[in-house]
Amino acid sequence: MEPRGSSGVGSGNSGTYTPEIAKSLRFEEEIQSLIDPSFDASSAAGGSFTALLGLPANQAVELLHHPGPGEPPASAASSSPTAGDLWRLRLGEHHAATDTLRLPFGCSSTFEERAARFSVFATDDSPASSSGGGLSPGLKAEPPDSDSQPTLPAPVGKPRRPSKRKECEKSKAKAVAKKSKSAEENTSAAKPAAEENTSGDKLPYVHVRARRGQATDSHSLAERARREKINARMKLLQELVPGCSKITGTALVLDEIINHVQSLQRQVEVRHLPHHYHHSLSLNNFLSMKLAAVNPRIDFSGLDHILSAECGPLAVDSGCGGGASDPTMWASDTAASTGGIRRMPAPPQIWHLDLVHPQQSSTVWENNGAAHPHFLLSTATSLVGYDPASSVILNSNQLKTEL
Amino acid sequence: MMACHFLRALFRIQQTSTSSSSSGRSRRIRRAAYASMAYSAGTRRAWSRALLRKLRSRARLRFPRRLSRAATPQRRDMDQAQVLRKLVPGGPSMDDCKLLEETADYIRCLTTQVRLMQTVMDSISS
Repeated sequence: MEPRGSSGVGSGNSGTYTPEIAKSLRFEEEIQSLIDPSFDASSAAGGSFTALLGLPANQAVELLHHPGPGEPPASAASSSPTAGDLWRLRLGEHHAATDTLRLPFGCSSTFEERAARFSVFATDDSPASSSGGGLSPGLKAEPPDSDSQPTLPAPVGKPRRPSKRKECEKSKAKAVAKKSKSAEENTSAAKPAAEENTSGDKLPYVHVRARRGQATDSHSLAERARREKINARMKLLQELVPGCSKITGTALVLDEIINHVQSLQRQVEVRHLPHHYHHSLSLNNFLSMKLAAVNPRIDFSGLDHILSAECGPLAVDSGCGGGASDPTMWASDTAASTGGIRRMPAPPQIWHLDLVHPQQSSTVWENNGAAHPHFLLSTATSLVGYDPASSVILNSNQLKTEL
Repeated sequence: MMACHFLRALFRIQQTSTSSSSSGRSRRIRRAAYASMAYSAGTRRAWSRALLRKLRSRARLRFPRRLSRAATPQRRDMDQAQVLRKLVPGGPSMDDCKLLEETADYIRCLTTQVRLMQTVMDSISS
């Protein structure tokens, strides 16, 4: 059998896997023939099958051998940073693939809709499932694996799943590009159409969306849900970006958003140069004063401590005890310039308290962002002049009274 | 929380390199800024995960600075999603809905980070 021979030649250690490979290849061809008459885009999937053979043989073999555990994705991720994304894509379209096989290969539009929906759900699911698992993309592999297993017809079993995954791998990249583009066009084109639909029932605009009056139309329902989600998110973004609420029209709003993000990123870059400049300046100035080189360190440690003391009361109410204990610790260490090291136990403790209330984290941001100018300026002036310990205690007390 | 991490990173940078090149230092500071952003967001967000991945792989942080403006509005519409995807870390692997969500969070985080850096700079220079 040619495939077996070629794959045997391709990878040396695939001796035991060739029967599986042959089986999967046969399944691939079956799937290909099944899908081809029904859907045009999936012919790209069929065409991509040959592209898949161009995959590094190790990866393909690994996929076949280890469909479950996260080792292949881990190794793939280590090789290329985008492989993790590819893996997620593979999973996404894995769902799409299972659904396509079960569909009564009827109209291609339904297939596209379902595929789009499932790809959305898959990509939505994966972060949720992996949020507990952390960074490893292998963990993302596992829940969809267990998910898909009951849905698959039993006798087919394992060789089919990795084959489907292999098959749809490259097509997903293309399909996502196509669908995102079409989705973009749909959303941008559909918005004026949607408004027209809501205003008047009978329209010359003959389209699937014209039937939106019926709630049973699943396509338009799904589309409408998606559009509303996107609209809601756009509204949030408009509120975030200053000066965006007046602008109407998605294109302009998006432009503004892009500009804003770029300007923020540029600010982060630019702020570094003055940083460095001021570093050298401050060092020179303080050399003339009695604080000399110790001062920059105390600056940071003082600031750090102030901010940690501030984080404590902000994060947890019962953290006031933690905040109160800090000044005493700091006061004892004030003479030592190794205060930075001693303070290590305190901030992690505060961080634990912070982590207990993850919902408050966003508010902590805002509080931090808003509160910084006042606190830091006051502490900075006090740090330069006075004895650090007493000033710190004073300021932390000030913080508590202010809060 | 972001502030603690950022300040500690700045402290470390100042200790290790008192007289290194300004560009190297600024690069390290910028990396520390993004690191503190990513750590404060944690693993809850797709962009922070992508950012952490980038940081851990020790690749050079490349940020798109120049925007090539598309001429026609039609092209601009389709390009905008792509441009946004390039800007937001972890962008290419998100659908539009998720992209907007992540952009909102990213903007919030960036704003806080910029404000933080501004105040640190002010307190140092005054």
